[in-house]
Amino acid sequence: MTKIGLEIHCQLTKLESKLFCSCKADYREFEPNTNICPVCMGIPGSLPLLNKSAVEKATLIAMALDCNTPDKIAFFRKNYFYPDLPKNFQITQLNVYGNTSIGWSGKIKVEDKEIRIRRIQLEEDPGRIIYEGATEKTKLTLVDYNRAGTPLVEIVTEPDFETPHQVREFLNILSDLIENLNVSDPGLEGAMRADANVSIEGGSKVEIKNIGSFHDLEKAVHFEITRQESLAERKIEIIQETRHWDDGRKITVSSRTKEEEAEYRYHLEADIPWIRISDNIKNELQTRMPESISSKKERYISKYDITPQVADILASDRYFSELFEKANNEVNAKHIANMITTDIMGLLDTREKRELSKLNAKHLSDLVEYITSNKITRASAKLALDEIIKNGQPLSQVIVDLDLGNVSDESALFEIIIQVLNEETKAVENAKQNPEIINFLVGKVMQKTHGKADPELTLTLLKQNLGIV
Amino acid sequence: MDLGISALNYVNGIRNGEFTVEEFVSKSLERISQVDKKLHAFLRVNDLAIKKAKEIDTKIKSNQDVGKCFGMPVSVKDNMCIEGSKTTCASKVLENFIAPYTSTVITKLDSEDAIIIGKTNLDEFAMGLSTEFSAYGPSRNPWNTDYVPGGSSGGSGVSVSANECIASLGSDTGGSIRNPASFCSVVGLKPTYGLVSRYGLVSYANSIEQIGPMTKTVKDSAFLLNIISGIDSNDNTTIDNKNQDYLNDIDVGISGKKIGIVSEMTNSDGLSADVLNATNESVKTFEKLGANCEQISLQMVPYTVAAYYTITSTEAGSNLARFDNIRYGYDFDSAGFEFNSYISQARSKLGPEVIRRMILGGFVPSAGHAGKYFLKALKVKSKLIAEINHVFEKFDFLISPTVPIQPFKFGEKIQDPVSFMMIDFNTVTANLTGIPAISVPYKITNGLPIGIQIMANRLEERSLLQAAYALEKTVNLPEVPSL
Amino acid sequence: MENLVSEEEISEVAKLMKIQLEDHSDHITRVQKMLEYFDILDSANVESEEITVQETDLDKLRNDKYNPYGKSLLKFLKNYQGKYVKAPKLN
Repeated sequence: MTKIGLEIHCQLTKLESKLFCSCKADYREFEPNTNICPVCMGIPGSLPLLNKSAVEKATLIAMALDCNTPDKIAFFRKNYFYPDLPKNFQITQLNVYGNTSIGWSGKIKVEDKEIRIRRIQLEEDPGRIIYEGATEKTKLTLVDYNRAGTPLVEIVTEPDFETPHQVREFLNILSDLIENLNVSDPGLEGAMRADANVSIEGGSKVEIKNIGSFHDLEKAVHFEITRQESLAERKIEIIQETRHWDDGRKITVSSRTKEEEAEYRYHLEADIPWIRISDNIKNELQTRMPESISSKKERYISKYDITPQVADILASDRYFSELFEKANNEVNAKHIANMITTDIMGLLDTREKRELSKLNAKHLSDLVEYITSNKITRASAKLALDEIIKNGQPLSQVIVDLDLGNVSDESALFEIIIQVLNEETKAVENAKQNPEIINFLVGKVMQKTHGKADPELTLTLLKQNLGIV
Repeated sequence: MDLGISALNYVNGIRNGEFTVEEFVSKSLERISQVDKKLHAFLRVNDLAIKKAKEIDTKIKSNQDVGKCFGMPVSVKDNMCIEGSKTTCASKVLENFIAPYTSTVITKLDSEDAIIIGKTNLDEFAMGLSTEFSAYGPSRNPWNTDYVPGGSSGGSGVSVSANECIASLGSDTGGSIRNPASFCSVVGLKPTYGLVSRYGLVSYANSIEQIGPMTKTVKDSAFLLNIISGIDSNDNTTIDNKNQDYLNDIDVGISGKKIGIVSEMTNSDGLSADVLNATNESVKTFEKLGANCEQISLQMVPYTVAAYYTITSTEAGSNLARFDNIRYGYDFDSAGFEFNSYISQARSKLGPEVIRRMILGGFVPSAGHAGKYFLKALKVKSKLIAEINHVFEKFDFLISPTVPIQPFKFGEKIQDPVSFMMIDFNTVTANLTGIPAISVPYKITNGLPIGIQIMANRLEERSLLQAAYALEKTVNLPEVPSL
Repeated sequence: MENLVSEEEISEVAKLMKIQLEDHSDHITRVQKMLEYFDILDSANVESEEITVQETDLDKLRNDKYNPYGKSLLKFLKNYQGKYVKAPKLN
């Protein structure tokens, strides 16, 4: 049986500051080496100052993944030399003196499989290495430490996955879960990374690192399984090793040919005392925990009578579920939900668009109200949405500005209908035989009114005119 | 104007108008230029000292608020960062390192208008007991310049003892304040772990080291401790001492107190004859002061040196890993070098003792050996702490000679690594347990100093200083010989 | 001198710690002697001891606030073209 395990690194991007200093947690907008201080640069004599919220947010993740959480957490040093490590050690967590990392022995359901979470730990991200120069000779290794010290939560699973598809599903569920907890924005570049380990029946465990995206991860795992299976078929031994994902060639490549046991000389980080996390604190965190996605979904289905598919999409998206909760008044919930999933999600499909959007809950509830009371058509609503997202004025004003109000005045509409009937003589003929053609005529009326004709009224008047029941 | 006056007397002198800050600092600088060629206490002298002195004099004259220190010249061991100035840790590897920030203790001194007159010499990265391991040459004992001043805060001890400045800040990981205090005949206090902020102190063994004062009198140490102690938001290991005043009631005496004589630290096998004599005398002195002295045994003491070196080399191996000369250090271009070979080449400038500790520090916590060495050392530490806690249920203080031997000649002890380590035998216990310990100058024998060590329970600095003060009052020591 | 840690092991550790053992024999001998002395720990009878650690409460920790360092740290560091730190070639 194929066994796949994952090691996911998730930055806590919703924190204000780094794990051990007050530099910004989100380093992305800074010029190189301008989001640094003596602490995250490991300047001699500097000392790490643990971020309280980091512990709380990491604990939320542990709780959401059904983990045991300790009464005291401790930090350790993992010692090795690398240019992106300012101190040449990483402050991380370990469980050698009892259980002292943020969480252990959790689980999460993926489709029908229960995936066990071995442990969760809090640690710091290293800096970033950039290579400059084309040739081997001129190539420079340049380091930007802006990211050094960014808070990371590492989630290690048991090798419970059996297929690449399960892995992908898990990562989607995990992303949604983490976003829902409001501890991280998984969509940010580099916010969530994962390594995998793969072993087929009877074979050694192979680690795969350097995987750029979750999409690549699925591919890498798939490739690795295939590679191992072909080796096994030819009765060639599968070496236990670390391989890296070569994105260009879409293959895994051996990183270390001989088995090198890295020696990290783990020992306690004496500059950070053990942190007591009382039951009171844990209970308080538990109450602060946002409603889980599955619970939201259940609630949407049972309370608002929303279809499971729509409920699923809505509950899994933090931004839109929040919008939904604010906009709906229970009566219009189903319509709001549909409007979001059908129209709005497509318009606000990227983080930038969401950040720039001026659409708020009132806009949404107004839109639904206007549609259900026939003040505007769905088509007009779409136009209004575009405008509102861009400029944010109240719906009533947008309708006036863009002249989107339904033509529901019977006599005005009647005139337009007569026009259409005169123009579309062939259709009029066919409509009497084929009632479907009436929709075509409705469409023509909508065209003439720029989508503002009240569709129901139009249909009624047309039918009357054509003598159709 | 006597350069040998205590800090408190200096403050009085300034306030009474007996002399100005500029006069005193000037004279101190003169003294430094006269004697430091021989003594080499200082690695660098502050050329802005006179300017600061003038500023403080102006403040005093114009009746502005002046800090408690009134411009007193204080030296600082060169392993504490001061913004904009070199901090070398007496190593070639940090030859050009200019600190971008200032240690908390120095910020505190600055805000009380002390003048940092210079940075003092030490064993490289504070690893040593004699200052013989400084990469910039040793410091010399002002009592006899053929002899070591102790270490690792040797330069600090010398600067105070030779009246080059009023007081100094040293650091103590295994005795590095107390040992040179004893060897130079000055007072040296290692505070409770966590009492004084380590922010800015270049870490050697961060689980046990502390910054502390080295002064001419016990009251001076209390005075400085008042300024430098207290919880610091830049150091998560600091404790809240609730703004205690360590000078308050320092002279209440020790009548009725119970003193434990640590037998493992005072048995005749380990001590030189002169030190043994001095120790026995001090016991009589304590008894005359009204204390009850009794022999006690700390069973873990014989294991403390091994535990200490195991733990500290592990931590040092980690704390010094950052010195790869990539971000800061000394001039050595990395062009053409491969990563691993560059770092090894750059670190070859580390001194021999540091190199040995790096190797030990790589060995004892490594996967195959941690159980035998590092883990055992941590457990020895634990058991020792339990013993100490138990002993302090019954006793107020513990005493021993600070160092089992008197100062030795240069090169004399460096040969045999094990007997060299043993010089720390009496001092490492206080570091491993975190308890405060002080060395009080007690005797001069054959022209060389002997100090007595007093230890108290965690956060009991007030009573510790009372005991030290009581002992000091019975002692009348000669002046340091003229140089 | 039996039971001493081997020269080979010490050389391996030196490599791990990025230390060149130029003055080979003296360092190795001294380290061997020190390690031999540490054997004394075996007779300390501390197997059943738990380690002792410093503890604190969650509410004593630093609040999560962004506070820019405010001074250019880069100019105190060896920097490349005022932007990056240059490191030696990685294999």
